[in-house]
Amino acid sequence: MIFLKLTQNELYKIFSLIRSYIGIILFTAIIPLILWGYGMGTTHIQHQIENSVSSMFLVEGSPTNGFTAAYFIMNFFWVHIPFLIALVGGDIFAGEAANGTFRVYATRPISRTSIFLSKSLATMIYTLIFVVYFGMLSLGLGLLWHGGGDMLVFQDGVLILEASDALRRFFIAYAFSFVNMALVSAIAIFFSTMVRNAVGPVIGTMAVIIFFLMISTLPLEIFTHFQPYLFTTYFSNWEQVFWDPIPWADLFRGLGLILSNLVFFLGIAFIIFRRKDILS
Amino acid sequence: MIETPSAPPQILAQPPAIACSGLSKRFKNIQALDNVTLKVPVGSIFGFLGPNGAGKSTLIRILAGLISSDSGAFEILGRSSKLGHKVRQGMSTLVDRADFYKNLSAYQNMKILGRLTGNEQNDHIDHLLQLLGLYDRRKDKVKTYSQGMKQRLGLAQALLPNPQLLVLDEPTTGLDPKGMHEIRDFILKIAEEQNVTIFLSSHLLHEVELICSDIALIFNGKLAAQGSLDSIFSNMQDVTVELEVEDTLGALRLLEASPLVQDLHHLANAISLEIRYTNIPELIRRLTAQDVKIFSVSQRNRLENYFLSLMEDQ
Repeated sequence: MIFLKLTQNELYKIFSLIRSYIGIILFTAIIPLILWGYGMGTTHIQHQIENSVSSMFLVEGSPTNGFTAAYFIMNFFWVHIPFLIALVGGDIFAGEAANGTFRVYATRPISRTSIFLSKSLATMIYTLIFVVYFGMLSLGLGLLWHGGGDMLVFQDGVLILEASDALRRFFIAYAFSFVNMALVSAIAIFFSTMVRNAVGPVIGTMAVIIFFLMISTLPLEIFTHFQPYLFTTYFSNWEQVFWDPIPWADLFRGLGLILSNLVFFLGIAFIIFRRKDILS
Repeated sequence: MIETPSAPPQILAQPPAIACSGLSKRFKNIQALDNVTLKVPVGSIFGFLGPNGAGKSTLIRILAGLISSDSGAFEILGRSSKLGHKVRQGMSTLVDRADFYKNLSAYQNMKILGRLTGNEQNDHIDHLLQLLGLYDRRKDKVKTYSQGMKQRLGLAQALLPNPQLLVLDEPTTGLDPKGMHEIRDFILKIAEEQNVTIFLSSHLLHEVELICSDIALIFNGKLAAQGSLDSIFSNMQDVTVELEVEDTLGALRLLEASPLVQDLHHLANAISLEIRYTNIPELIRRLTAQDVKIFSVSQRNRLENYFLSLMEDQ
């Protein structure tokens, strides 16, 4: 009961901060703009697709539809979303330490475990809401704006997915994206337990992600040995959901690595928070 | 360490509000607390005194669960510190200055903290905001509040769980004289009306002397004395007294001849003298017998004298 109230408090605090809406406002502004631009400026791409595919297959609906628009948006944004997610996760502990409100909160007869878990859960709920909103806006609005139909995916050739299959795959892709973003939140929480200002954890999180992202994408032989063990290697694993057949084994291996990193960062953060002397 | 009786026998039958035993804490090269053993009687307003950096806040932070001690144990309202966070049930703390979610109103801040202890009922929050004189500004964001208002809101938050023990760390820090006066009045009011034991740390001796029934003094992390203020004062040997009389020069001549008095000074409108505490009634009797009209007799800085004498002993 107290845990639920704590989580309720944390969500209340998160959504009372302007920074929590920055990403949502950004998406609300840019996704419709991209969808509008997508409708206006893909004629050239559309003709190419139609010329190469229409002679071979019967494609139901327009090949540049809501599905391909959502796919395009997702491809474009998956490197930017971590920064927006880290804005909230980075503030969740450090913001309270900076304000001095931890003193007030931590002196109540509540265990630090409960405080930690409620803050972590609230951050994950925020991350989920963020991903769902992103999905609703890009896919939902994309379908409303550009309609449905078969989805064309270019992966070692052209893959045509039926609308119902494409929709199912989008849900799975968003689920994988959520887990990836949950890891970003966990890294932000980890940094947030260590410092007393909210800027440091955001920078720290992005530095970690950029560093590992570089190593996991550098086409140098020495790095290829490490790449399977880096979580950033699997940050774009959602794309594999649109392959045929779906490489489930690879996906779950990546998922396992992401989840184990998530548990690692949250675990270290928990130990730091439990032992932390609150001096300010 | 000097110990003096601190509470009547019927109160001693209850477990103390706070009982610390051998608490120590070290920060790198500084021994912030050194084997501190302390008892705070139930029903008292207990002043915890010491200069800046003496270890007052460290002890309060240990009691509040903000930091852990290196050794020793404590009990709060009979509950052992081994119970973890549950030891703080019945206790509420205002550590240092009051801080809030500044983008939220006083009411929303109260609501957030109230949820933690199941005291988020609107009536209860309204009552406390009224008690602390903040009801009319309850919907305003805290960032628009003065320091005095914030401190009162901090007190209101501390009272949310209806505590039996209220721990206040330097509650008048940063306040102007009016704000300090208000907070002192609220503390007395709370202690009286809500029957709360109050443990108050301060380096303002005058403030403690005005409101506390019991005190403890700490220097360099070590407890130097504890007991009731009355018993401490009654044990004090020499005190400084100021006399306001009608004929100052006449009274001065009489006092110069008196064997009871030492260190006599003629002030602008009064006489300052040092006298054994127990000889004060005799001095008054002798002066009135000589037809000296006395308007006031006040002991000046009793606690300060005591504090300084203990400091010299350290």
